[in-house]
Amino acid sequence: MSIYRQFWLAIIGLTVLAFAGSFVVSLFTARNYIEQQLYMKNVDNAASLALVLSQLPDKDPVMVELMISSQFDTGHYQEIVLTDPKHQVLVERHYAGDASGAPAWFVRMFPINAAPGTALVQDGWKQYGSIRLVSHSRFAYQALWHGVERLAAWFLLAGGLAGLLGTAVLRFVFKPLHGVVQQAEAIQERRFITVGEPRTPELRSVVVAMNAMVSRLKAIFAEEAARLDELRRQINHDALTDLANREFFMTQLREQLTAAEAAAEGNLALVRISHLDKINADMGHQLTDRLIQHMADVLKRFAEGCDNGVPARLNGADFVLLATGEHDPRRFGETLRQALEEDLVPAWPQLEEMFHIGVVAFRRGDEMRDLLSGVDKALAMAESKGMNALHVLSEEQSMTGSRSAESWRHELSEAIHDGRIRLERYPVLAASNQPLHQESAARMQLDPHGPWLTAGDFMPMALRLKLSSAVDMDVVQIALDHLDQAVQEIAVNLSAETIADWRFNEDLAALLSHNPDKAKRLWIEVPEYGAFRNFDAFRSFCHHLARHGCKLGIEHFGHHFGEIARLAELGLDYLKIDSNYVRDIDSHTGNQEFLRGLCRIAHNVGMLVIAEGVSSAAELATLIELGFDGATGQEITRRVQD
Amino acid sequence: MGRNRIHHATLRVFSLSALFACAFGALALLATAFDFDAFVQLAARRYGARTEQVAGQWRNLLTASRTLPEVERVRKVNDFFNRQITYKEDSEVWGQSDYWATPLETMGRGAGDCEDFAIAKYFSLLLAGLPADRLRLTYVKAKIGGRYSNISIAHMVLGYYPETNDEPLILDNLLADIRPASQRPDLTPVFSFNTEGLWVGNAPGGTSAGSSTSRLSRWRDLLSRMKAEGFE
Repeated sequence: MSIYRQFWLAIIGLTVLAFAGSFVVSLFTARNYIEQQLYMKNVDNAASLALVLSQLPDKDPVMVELMISSQFDTGHYQEIVLTDPKHQVLVERHYAGDASGAPAWFVRMFPINAAPGTALVQDGWKQYGSIRLVSHSRFAYQALWHGVERLAAWFLLAGGLAGLLGTAVLRFVFKPLHGVVQQAEAIQERRFITVGEPRTPELRSVVVAMNAMVSRLKAIFAEEAARLDELRRQINHDALTDLANREFFMTQLREQLTAAEAAAEGNLALVRISHLDKINADMGHQLTDRLIQHMADVLKRFAEGCDNGVPARLNGADFVLLATGEHDPRRFGETLRQALEEDLVPAWPQLEEMFHIGVVAFRRGDEMRDLLSGVDKALAMAESKGMNALHVLSEEQSMTGSRSAESWRHELSEAIHDGRIRLERYPVLAASNQPLHQESAARMQLDPHGPWLTAGDFMPMALRLKLSSAVDMDVVQIALDHLDQAVQEIAVNLSAETIADWRFNEDLAALLSHNPDKAKRLWIEVPEYGAFRNFDAFRSFCHHLARHGCKLGIEHFGHHFGEIARLAELGLDYLKIDSNYVRDIDSHTGNQEFLRGLCRIAHNVGMLVIAEGVSSAAELATLIELGFDGATGQEITRRVQD
Repeated sequence: MGRNRIHHATLRVFSLSALFACAFGALALLATAFDFDAFVQLAARRYGARTEQVAGQWRNLLTASRTLPEVERVRKVNDFFNRQITYKEDSEVWGQSDYWATPLETMGRGAGDCEDFAIAKYFSLLLAGLPADRLRLTYVKAKIGGRYSNISIAHMVLGYYPETNDEPLILDNLLADIRPASQRPDLTPVFSFNTEGLWVGNAPGGTSAGSSTSRLSRWRDLLSRMKAEGFE
């Protein structure tokens, strides 16, 4: 029984006890008082009648009877009896009517017993007889009964008022407790939230203690996360410029070229600072470093304006920029050149020639070696062209570039309308080798007879045309339908734009509440950059879905590791770690330490950690040793198929 | 709750007689357990050797006369008080117009008015074993100053009825001997009462010390004083 209900019952009980007690006491007091008063009246009236009869000089029986009758008829008497000294009745009068002014059961339960009054009558010196007199108790019963009625009415009224007042007071008193309970439940679900301090001193000390604990835990997480993030940076980033280093960039490039979910095409630019050795010799080490940092800043800013822009420093003078979203490599290259001309060159008037840019367009599936040699060739061509020159190697038009936005809109809408979307499913195994769930990837058939395109092919356009919500809704629906027959749970990924769409959120919540059982077997994941780009939208998305029982997670996690503390209050269920950190983990001791710390922190806030893109048994073994809870990727698919 | 109606009825009539009766009834029932020796010791403590002597004589009289005929007992008790107690007005003895003294107080002062005589005789006869229905305390109008005098006073005597329908013998402090009522033309009976049938053991407003009715009565006072004297 809740404490609220217990208090409420206690208030009711005390009220009833108090009223019932006063009720009984006043009833018995009143009855006792009435009995005493009636007895006095009996005795006194008997005495006065006896006195009058004693004074009657001639005891004429008619006269005696008349006097008794007149006393009886004008007064309020139950009976008056005159007996002689031998106890023979001389005169008697009895009241014959209804003697009671109250319900029969009441008279039975609370009888009024007033003793009769008796007095002696003299005839001169001789004894004449004795008077026995009983007063009528009708009015006494009436008075007692009315008193009971009034008391009962007051009892009901005051009891009702006390109940209402008690309820209001309890509401008021327990309101802060509600907040405390919510916080405790949130902490149990490993959501670390703080609540406002209530005014009740006992509760306040509890809340203060719990808030302090939550803050301390958050601080510990943040500290640990910052330390590990620093480690991650040292391992994967160039110390001078904070750009990705060569090794990390190569992992990302390989992912871009091989992953089904990656964009279908993009551009790679290689930027070289000209004559860096000479500059170093002429201007000195410090200024050279300043130049390199300046170049890095310009590239970083430029990358932020691109889709999935990744800048990196390959070695001393060489920088690369990987970006998707621009179909025309010439335009991409020219924009980059202009940015350098405007932002970099004016600051260094002492340098004549500053940079050269080689650009090459690529498509998913291209060989990495070919791509790298291509961009080298483009840079060589640019260097041969002259000062601050650009050369674009590939002139051919890309597949997507050949379609107009209008035809894309038409074909995407048709495909969504006709339901030409299906889910590819990939196994995700737990560390125990048991299936955890199936990961799904959307495929769409633009042309009814054409090939099934991967998300990387159609999703960029769907995003641009604001059709991603429709695609994602279809995906969730297909996944739920799949759960009808499937034993395993299934995970779907939603795009960043989709989760910020409030109509999608409403529709999804409605869909899940109509399928409560299936919702519990649905895992929903959002890419890291989508979650952190609009964190407020992601937070409200999480709160919106929390009560439907589906599991929520973040995929491609790792780049925003420093902000993992912000995830603690969301109550997320899992993280999928980006394959960039997983690749060759068995030989990469630096990332091993980072991932071990990540697993520890994630487990502290109740999240599972799953590795993406595991491609070898050695990687898998290392990951399990590091504390990963599950994995997906080619190695896993292979194992399941075997 | 109807309080006023009852209360008025109460005040309308002669309430003292009823309470008087109640008090007497209680004492009469309890008289069998009376401790004479304690009474005598109390008399000594409170009033000294003279009263102790009177109380001792009173004890001896009552215990010795238990086997005598009733009339003899009545005569002895009447003689005892008429001889031992001097008639004095309440205002003289007690400093108030009407004070009803207990038997011990009367013995202690050695004086009393007509009520005090009647009360002391009444209690003594109950203790001597007489049934209450043969005794009546009677208010009388007494003519004084001879047969042709017109002067009357309010007076109280104790009547003893050897037979229910008979005329009573009158125990009066004005005369030394006991005479039948017919030989007392100077007395006119007004009203008489005894405890018979009046006192009901469990009746409300009886003798219980805390009841509201007893507080109205000077007999509540008398009763409490008598309790202290052993009439319990």
